[in-house]
Amino acid sequence: MSDQQPRSQTILVVGGGISGVTAALEAAEAGYETVLLEAGPSLGGRVAQLNRYFPKLCHPTCGLEINYQRIRKNPRVKVFTMAQVDGVSGERGNYSVTVKTSPRYVNANCTACGACAEASETKVADPFDYGLGETTAAHLPHEMAFPMRYVIDPSVIGTPEAQKIKDACKYDAIDLEETEQTFDLQVGAIVWATGWRPYDPANLTNYNHASLPDVVNNVEMERLAAHDGPTGGRITRPSDGTEAKRVAMIQCAGSRDLNHLPYCSRICCLASMKHAAYVREQYADAQVDIYYIDIRAHDKLEAFYNKLKVDPQVSWIKSKPSAIEAGPDGRPVVKGENTITREIYAAPYDLVVLATGMEPSVAGEHLPVNTGQDEYSFVVPAQPAEEGVAAAGVASGPLDVSMSTQSATAAALKAIQAVAGPAR
Amino acid sequence: MTTTSPQATRKYDLGFARWVYENVDGGDRLALCMQCGTCSGSCPVGTQMDYGPRKLFMMIRAGMKDAVLSSNTLWNCVSCYNCVVRCPRQVPVTYILHDLAVVAVREGYKEAVESDNARFSAAFNFSAERYGRTDERIVTGKFYFSEGLSAGFKKGMDNMKIAWNMVKTKRMPLGLPHKIKGKGELKTILDKAREIEERHKGGGKGN
Ligand SMILES: Cc1cc2nc3c(=O)[nH]c(=O)nc-3n(C[C@H](O)[C@H](O)[C@H](O)COP(=O)(O)OP(=O)(O)OC[C@H]3O[C@@H](n4cnc5c(N)ncnc54)[C@H](O)[C@@H]3O)c2cc1C
Ligand code: SF4
Ligand code: SF4
Repeated sequence: MSDQQPRSQTILVVGGGISGVTAALEAAEAGYETVLLEAGPSLGGRVAQLNRYFPKLCHPTCGLEINYQRIRKNPRVKVFTMAQVDGVSGERGNYSVTVKTSPRYVNANCTACGACAEASETKVADPFDYGLGETTAAHLPHEMAFPMRYVIDPSVIGTPEAQKIKDACKYDAIDLEETEQTFDLQVGAIVWATGWRPYDPANLTNYNHASLPDVVNNVEMERLAAHDGPTGGRITRPSDGTEAKRVAMIQCAGSRDLNHLPYCSRICCLASMKHAAYVREQYADAQVDIYYIDIRAHDKLEAFYNKLKVDPQVSWIKSKPSAIEAGPDGRPVVKGENTITREIYAAPYDLVVLATGMEPSVAGEHLPVNTGQDEYSFVVPAQPAEEGVAAAGVASGPLDVSMSTQSATAAALKAIQAVAGPAR
Repeated sequence: MTTTSPQATRKYDLGFARWVYENVDGGDRLALCMQCGTCSGSCPVGTQMDYGPRKLFMMIRAGMKDAVLSSNTLWNCVSCYNCVVRCPRQVPVTYILHDLAVVAVREGYKEAVESDNARFSAAFNFSAERYGRTDERIVTGKFYFSEGLSAGFKKGMDNMKIAWNMVKTKRMPLGLPHKIKGKGELKTILDKAREIEERHKGGGKGN
């Protein structure tokens, strides 16, 4: 590229989780135009689905709300939800990006009054609750949605119910004719912040997640504990709704395993300790057993571990369980060898939580940008400053929220260097 | 396998572990074992083993050669491969146990040489090599008498009823043992197997 050619200084951020939001804001607050694309109906990503987050156990609202304020105040950030990248061409300083949006069927007139949801009868599995609960076809993505706007599930479009939903809206916010759209953007640099998905517990056949209702994974546990989740925040057994007081956490469920995710997902030990704290807060007589290979509470997070270790109702069992099976009363039974005592155990529980790891959301996909991916599909830009592509947050490796925001800030700086640096 | 496996001569002696890593089938992956316990927990006969695979592997690292090679863990494995499919480090536990059993017999460990499995294997091989098939009468006879004349006789008498019932239902023949047709080919196969084993003994790997 020569100096004469037009250079765009706009920075595109793909993925509106905590990392993408942070990268977009850091770049915008440094004076750069940014465009933030989110595939789902709301920003916030997986953090919005947590009940609370370690190390301080604050509610995700606080962290997210501060960032939403920053977005509202900053005219340099343009947010598109229901939007994904369809194709990219060009090079640093001169990318042409095709964006594809899916219909939300609800426009900016929406005041989030909820009349459409009241008119909606069809129930759909709530993706926000990982399918543990149901919601109406017309629904708010979640309590802290940004934009605070309803969305209509495509399954009812074309039915009389859709018309009923439309008629219920007093603000003319419902557009049943909305279709998939594409548009082009000219940008100078791209930050990839597409985050992660939970490793599929169906692959762990010996843990019977699919067939035993009281075996859940750790993201489901977050929803079981959340006040806006399917149980209103009471940690109960999905099978019969009774209190879950004998609870097992199974660490490395699919992580550090050459048959599954070979790497350590880094956050699951802390997530399980947090889950133990949720249970202990709710039930004075609860007993939580944490099955682990070794506990990885790095840096300052060790304080959390030390605090939990003194709780006599939390036990630490050094063992990777070999199987989880249904007991005679239908309760899940965790089986294995305690590697300290060499005892072969079979212990029944009310609830078993699989600490499944984080796998890049783009695993198995070919990215439309010119960048590298490591053997696990995490995005590793080959030469970010030259290519104009950077990666942020869990898209780049298994990170917690604070590490994700650090990586997002670093990615914003790399993107700025790419658009503001000398032309090649 | 060139040498006899080494004994520990001092504390924290890795000599035996290294020898196992280099000489035992699958031993190279043993170095990756992270002591998670999945193997011992998955084992259907885990409660019948003195140590179980995980602990046995730790004992190898600790240089406890005598305890390892006289352990019943080597003999009680039923080759179900539960541990192998579940091991997060893809350690071929079953192969390692079986090859350690071979080492234990070769090095003359009493518990190994006198184990039921070792004596049964010898009886099985005897019949298989001679006739190309396992003749129940030869295998059981060889096996029973491997404990001595009177013990063999007693065992034989104890099982007479079963034997007769098998004869009556044509599960066991009465005449001379049948040889298979292609005994020459079998010999070629077995000779080749011996040749491969010799090569392994020479330190070489692979087939
Ligand atoms: C059970 C569990 C508990 C946890 N608890 C904590 C905790 O207490 N404290 C803590 O610090 N960390 C915790 N973590 C880790 C935390 O969830 C992550 O650090 C955080 O989600 C990373 O944010 P992110 O923006 O990188 O990714 P994500 O949260 O995954 O966000 C990515 C966003 O990108 C969007 N997206 C994906 N693909 C595309 C695409 N192609 N186009 C457009 N958009 C796309 C997604 O819809 C999503 O909104 C926990 C993790 C787990 C598994
Ligand atoms: S399952 Fe594999 S890694 Fe775990 S203790 Fe057994 S051999 Fe070692
Ligand atoms: S293969 Fe052997 S050691 Fe492994 S689980 Fe089966 S019986 Fe146990």
